[in-house]
Amino acid sequence: MEGPAVAVCEILKYLIIYQRCETAGVSKGALLEGQLVISIEALNSKHQANTLHCVTTIAAAGSIYGGLVLKKLLKDMQSILPGFFANLNWTSEEAGHSQDASGLRPFQMIFEADVKPRTLMTDSLVIKNFLRKIITVLPKIRFNFSVKVNGILSVEIFGAESEPALNLSNGIALVVNCQHYLSTPKFDTTELPCSRIHPVLGHPVMLFIPDDVVGMGLLGELTLTPAVALCPCPKVFSNQLNRISSISIFLYGPSGLPLIFPNSEQPTTAVFKDASYFIDWKKYRLSMVPNLDLSLDSGVHTLLSAHLRAILRESHSVVQGCIQAAVARALEQHRQAVKAHQKLQASLSVAVDSIMSIMTGSTNSSFRKTCLQTLQAADTQEFGTKLHKSFQEVTQHRFLYHCSHEVKQQLLPERNEAEQNTDKAHENGSLELLAGTGEQTENKRLKRGSLGVEETGASRSAGALSPSEAASRRAEPTAAPLTFSRSRTGPGSGLEDAVWLQEISNLSEWLSSGPGP
Amino acid sequence: MAFTPRGPEASFFEVLDQHRASLLAALKRGGEEPTGGGMCLASSSEVLSSIEKIIQDIVTSLARNEAPAFTIDNRSSWENIKFEDSVGLHMVSHCTTRKIKSDSPKSVKNFAIILKILSMIYKLVQSNTYATKRDIYYTDSQLFGNQTVVDNIINDISCMLKVPRRSLHILSTSKGLIAGDLKYLEEDGTKVNCTRATAVAVPSNIQGIQNLITDAKFLLIVEKDATFQRLLDDNFCNKMSPCIMVTGKGVPDLNTRLLVKKLWDTFHIPVFTLVDADPHGIEIMCIYKYGSMAMSFEAHNLTVPAIRWLGLLPSDIKRLNIPKGTLIPLTKRDQMKLDSILKRPYITCQPFWRKEMEIMADSKMKAEIQALTFLSSDYLSRVYLPNKLKFGGWI
Repeated sequence: MEGPAVAVCEILKYLIIYQRCETAGVSKGALLEGQLVISIEALNSKHQANTLHCVTTIAAAGSIYGGLVLKKLLKDMQSILPGFFANLNWTSEEAGHSQDASGLRPFQMIFEADVKPRTLMTDSLVIKNFLRKIITVLPKIRFNFSVKVNGILSVEIFGAESEPALNLSNGIALVVNCQHYLSTPKFDTTELPCSRIHPVLGHPVMLFIPDDVVGMGLLGELTLTPAVALCPCPKVFSNQLNRISSISIFLYGPSGLPLIFPNSEQPTTAVFKDASYFIDWKKYRLSMVPNLDLSLDSGVHTLLSAHLRAILRESHSVVQGCIQAAVARALEQHRQAVKAHQKLQASLSVAVDSIMSIMTGSTNSSFRKTCLQTLQAADTQEFGTKLHKSFQEVTQHRFLYHCSHEVKQQLLPERNEAEQNTDKAHENGSLELLAGTGEQTENKRLKRGSLGVEETGASRSAGALSPSEAASRRAEPTAAPLTFSRSRTGPGSGLEDAVWLQEISNLSEWLSSGPGP
Repeated sequence: MAFTPRGPEASFFEVLDQHRASLLAALKRGGEEPTGGGMCLASSSEVLSSIEKIIQDIVTSLARNEAPAFTIDNRSSWENIKFEDSVGLHMVSHCTTRKIKSDSPKSVKNFAIILKILSMIYKLVQSNTYATKRDIYYTDSQLFGNQTVVDNIINDISCMLKVPRRSLHILSTSKGLIAGDLKYLEEDGTKVNCTRATAVAVPSNIQGIQNLITDAKFLLIVEKDATFQRLLDDNFCNKMSPCIMVTGKGVPDLNTRLLVKKLWDTFHIPVFTLVDADPHGIEIMCIYKYGSMAMSFEAHNLTVPAIRWLGLLPSDIKRLNIPKGTLIPLTKRDQMKLDSILKRPYITCQPFWRKEMEIMADSKMKAEIQALTFLSSDYLSRVYLPNKLKFGGWI
């Protein structure tokens, strides 16, 4: 019995793409805004044992969806989720009670299903994961997600409006807080001096669309722009990098929605099968990464994702090449950061020693006393320690300032001379892909676009912030690396339980009062 | 007993004496010569206090969680340099500055080096010992990188503390030579007599020399060591006695410039330059006369605006029919340098110099002093210089 996650994700995608289309001609490049409410209310089923009757409501605040024709949406959903629809009860309300000044009504959609409790648990995770991925590149869209099980309510708000983000030219932004890119917290990022990522953009490359895919209705030009970031920030955590514990790859479509593979297919495509190929291990003296986390969701279909494998296969070498180049730049950036840090430390050491030499050699007791008092040191030894610490603090502050102010830069793609396969004419297009069947072909406006990472973005010396096409991570001995299998495992796995427990820290009461698995 | 007269007759120096009189009159008209300008010799305790104040300021900044920084005058920026006929090139009183920050990746190393050199100066002054710039460099050549870094920072510190380099107990290595009618006492009591057949090295402690004695009618600054040695070989100082000759062996070091300045300040005798008729020689002459951009902050101690250009003048080349085969075409670099000198502020008040440079620019040729040897081997010391000095052939 399928849970609500599939439908919720597809409907949200539909709404976001709809909003994209509606606003494209009005404010090009502006970030999508809005608030969407997803609520699931589950009660013990009266007809089946160990089953919850779930009522899922999706509503959108504001008038942006006022023009949305609900019947059309339902028809589209039927074609996207045929199996799903057969089993569910749908209710579509057009929230007729309120209208805004333009006469448009806010959007609301309700559907019902009977699911097992564990299915609901898993689906909630899937929905949360999906929402997190969306807000990473569409930070101004806020999701209010609530789950009420037998009267016990849990609410979580997903949004990154107030977080630092880097705006890119196609209306997508990248949230730079590294928490958004970590599947499990490998370290307490609140304790890090800089909790941001500083992606380096690679050069966009054109992807070849196979003829058979074109025949399916996927037209236009497709470009892939990689962005690579090390986590944590290399600037203030500048020990020499010698191990990468995991590589995470996040793939986004032109509308800012995460791309997924069909559930039945192999999770990894050939391009990403061996992510170690992207890194010049010898050059940077790094040891091999043990695990790859290809953060792709399962169970939801779009036209692009349905043919993603074929597209990527056709442009295999180009994709690998551009990602390699971006990775090299990110690692080089780190290397430069390490060098800068070492240079800084060496210089500060000279400065401290020089001051100490004058201070300890002075016969002017008034001068010595004043120096000690200023730093509140009891003796010259303590003075030296405090002097060193003070220098560290003031210079750290400056580096953090640089880190935080990178975000405000608009990035433009940098020409990478090493990348020869550059049909670069179409850097900042937008590929609009509307999910749907052949009946909606006329709506599948494929403009020039980017698949995956952010367009625009010249990586400055500080690195370009762009959504992680690939994100290298620092070595963290205690971290449990994510494996692809984790995201594929169905309900019932021990590892998933552990993650679930972590996820529902705010739903702890559910464990004690809810229905059994 | 036969008396062998040294030097020419007294009438030979008539024009020189008149020139000297006019110089003295100009000095009187112009008011008192500025005594050292803004750079007075500072006592050891003053230097130590200045450095301690800098350290206190740094510690205070750190206590306020602010990154300390040095504020350095932009010594080598034309916007901070003005020209005065009586002084030459010197720094303006309110000049632009730059900050050497401790929290900037670009400048943190410089910040540290400044502190390092300050600590070394502190120790030198405290122990009343001296070191050269080269000595400083070799204490930590890896940190400093190259000598130029050390030289620049020492000058910056001198400018920042507003004391001459000598007060920092850092000496510059002297490469200059003196010869002629001059005696003095060095700081350690050593008596120096420059009338010997061989030249004497310019001392490293110019401020410390005392009891200068001379009857010299003029001081001749010679650009090149080769020319200087040639004149020594030709016994020029005796033939033109009483006179003094100095060479900086090219671009003069600080001590050579200080010595020339000291001789002028002490004796007010005419000072002439003998340089090649090329842009490089003219530039060297301008350094003695008007100062350099790099040392403009200490101009008052270094410049002698009263200097006159004796030779080799570009107009002499044609006048003396110097063979064209001895001339050298100006290189592109020469052209650029010549253009640069012509644009400098001090050239506007030197119309004769400007004319000579224009002759050079038009002919696109240059000549070394050695070109005169094509007229005769001792033409320089036997004919050229004596005639120039006797008949006032300077500009």
